[in-house]
Amino acid sequence: MSSKKLVTDGRPARNKEGKAREHAPFLFLLPALLVVFAVLIFPIIFSLIVSTFDWPLSEGAGARRFVGLGNYIGLTKDPEFWNSLKLQLGFIFVAIPLELLLGFAAALLLNREFFGARLVRSLLLLPVFFLPILSGMTWRFMLQPRYGPLNALLLKLGAPEITWLGNPVTAYIAIIIQDIWRMWPFMFMLLYAGLTAIPQEMIEAAEIDGAGFWKKLRSVIIPLLTPTILTAILLRIIDALRVFSEVYVMTEGGPGTSTMLFSLYTHRQAFGYQKVGMASSMAIFLLILSIVFALTLVRKNMSLDVLEEKAGG
Amino acid sequence: MKKALFMLLLAVAMVGMVSAQTINVLFWDDAYPRTLMERIPEFEKATGIKVNFEILQPPQVFTKTSVAVGKDKTDYDLVCVDEGNIPLFASLMLPYDQWAPGKVFKKVDPSTVTPAMLDVAQWDGKLIGLPINGNLYVWMTRKDLIENPKYKAEFKAQYGYDLGVPQTLQQMLDMGTYFYKNGIVSGGFGPFNGGPAGVFGEAIFMWESFGTHFIDYVNGKPKLVVDKAKAVQGMEFYKKLMAISPKGAETMAHVERQAAFCADPKGVFTQFIWPAQIASYEDPDKSLAAGKIVYSAPPSGPAGRFAIRGTWAVNIPLASKNKDAAAEFVYWWASKDIATWLVEKNTVPARTDALTNPKFAASKPWLAAIADSMKYAAARPRFKEVAQVQDIVKKYWIMGITGQMPTADAMQKIMDETQDVLKKAGY
Repeated sequence: MSSKKLVTDGRPARNKEGKAREHAPFLFLLPALLVVFAVLIFPIIFSLIVSTFDWPLSEGAGARRFVGLGNYIGLTKDPEFWNSLKLQLGFIFVAIPLELLLGFAAALLLNREFFGARLVRSLLLLPVFFLPILSGMTWRFMLQPRYGPLNALLLKLGAPEITWLGNPVTAYIAIIIQDIWRMWPFMFMLLYAGLTAIPQEMIEAAEIDGAGFWKKLRSVIIPLLTPTILTAILLRIIDALRVFSEVYVMTEGGPGTSTMLFSLYTHRQAFGYQKVGMASSMAIFLLILSIVFALTLVRKNMSLDVLEEKAGG
Repeated sequence: MKKALFMLLLAVAMVGMVSAQTINVLFWDDAYPRTLMERIPEFEKATGIKVNFEILQPPQVFTKTSVAVGKDKTDYDLVCVDEGNIPLFASLMLPYDQWAPGKVFKKVDPSTVTPAMLDVAQWDGKLIGLPINGNLYVWMTRKDLIENPKYKAEFKAQYGYDLGVPQTLQQMLDMGTYFYKNGIVSGGFGPFNGGPAGVFGEAIFMWESFGTHFIDYVNGKPKLVVDKAKAVQGMEFYKKLMAISPKGAETMAHVERQAAFCADPKGVFTQFIWPAQIASYEDPDKSLAAGKIVYSAPPSGPAGRFAIRGTWAVNIPLASKNKDAAAEFVYWWASKDIATWLVEKNTVPARTDALTNPKFAASKPWLAAIADSMKYAAARPRFKEVAQVQDIVKKYWIMGITGQMPTADAMQKIMDETQDVLKKAGY
């Protein structure tokens, strides 16, 4: 009966079916889209709206006042905002390259089989599993002038005690070292996985052509590993842009404001000064900064043809 | 029969409803509320009110209160507010005179609170909640050090007066310098610079001691009234104290100060303490200094003696649906019976009758010092934008006392940037 109807009245039925087919993907995507909207798009839109208000946190929504771009203009005039941005970028541009170097060197070194290799590779990953807040606390106590093991070692070596977290320069260095210690194994993990995926024949071919270690590294390994390297850098930048708890417990942004990273200052604006609108405008700024980083790196990362050409050359 | 059964069920349901009343309470984390927790089951049994309590570090209490307590809704029926934050939350809290009378426990008469503490919960001429602890600077000096015959003789020979509990800042500097030279490395002043509120307390203490207020209320508005010359003197003096203080004092918070005082075999000569922490310092399992501490009021500066206050008030949010039950809990907590028991447990409530109870005079030597300090209680300035000012003071105070910036320049920066904050806030 129905097939007959389909034959006699084929065109409308096909249209109906076609429409259903057209809509089906959207229906299947709808739950995921709703989730993305709820946890990603809505908060961004909400933050954007909040950023246009002078909104004292403790007084609630009733006390808010529309200020348009006032918060953004206020930020540009706030020296602490620029200071925190400078510190945040410095943190990223110092910590991440060093983590990359360490991770890459360890990956090259451990990309071979020897007795206990698996155990060594697994143990190297341990710092990544540390909760950032615990890492920060541990480092804080380790760097204590009087009771910290680092100063005890220095004293035994005849060096003077150093107030690591009391000096603006050493405190900034300390938070960077803490991050490097905790996150370089993350770089190692990704780069090691990338290295194992490089076809062995290509390395052997290079060796037959007489390439030494550095030549192989420059002409084969790095070009083939570039997508992995860029992915690792991108993931670390995203992570480093929102670094908070470990620095908060180590220095609380001090001494003075010498380690007041962007995320700490955003927190201070929201929960210290109770300026939710200002904090939201900082969050939007951070979002734009993240997008710039991501677009730059993803665009490079996705140019696989170029990379393959490079590797082939 | 059916009617009787119905009545019975109704009665059971009503009892169930009453006994199921629950209040959510937000505590700050230190020995005092933790001690109180031991007795909460008794309160629950006596009233049928269940107490859900959350305990957080003071900065997190502030954050949580900011987020969870609003004009129209609240996650908590009772919150503890640090005195500096009363201006921010006052409009969200039920004034104490509107708290209901207690059903099981009698409403606490505010006059039972020590006068020095009562001011903590006052805002805009109203009492916003009830001060609940007696926290203000008290001085600790190591008895075994100042009674050591060798130290006593040497000090007298060098400085011409007796070694003892420092009565003035100058004496504290002299004695601290003497101990520092004698290898008691952490001897001297133990500054408290861990966070903005701590630094602000230290700065206000020194400025008051050297004869200047920082901010006063003039015509109902906060106004910068600091005398720069006197403030710089205070900062310069603190810089000298830093030289005899433990390494890294500029980064020390409570945990490091406690470690220095309690765990260092050589000991710390003298430092201030919040009475709320005395229980830890006097616990022989945690402290090498337990039983060796003399308590006193803070040493005086050229302008007099000042004890910075840092007390908590308990407040009921206007939006709470369990105001009566929350009030009942406070009446129990602030009752004479519980306050006396809290003193017995080495904590410090705000009730005068508990703090001055003669039965504790011999066993709790700090109580007399607290009572003495209360005569000199000084508050940190309070206004809505105080967090911004605290950050400014923290930044330049640390730069000044550690020599990263000349003290006069640091003070000028503090004044200029504070003025800017006050101006932007419309004062």
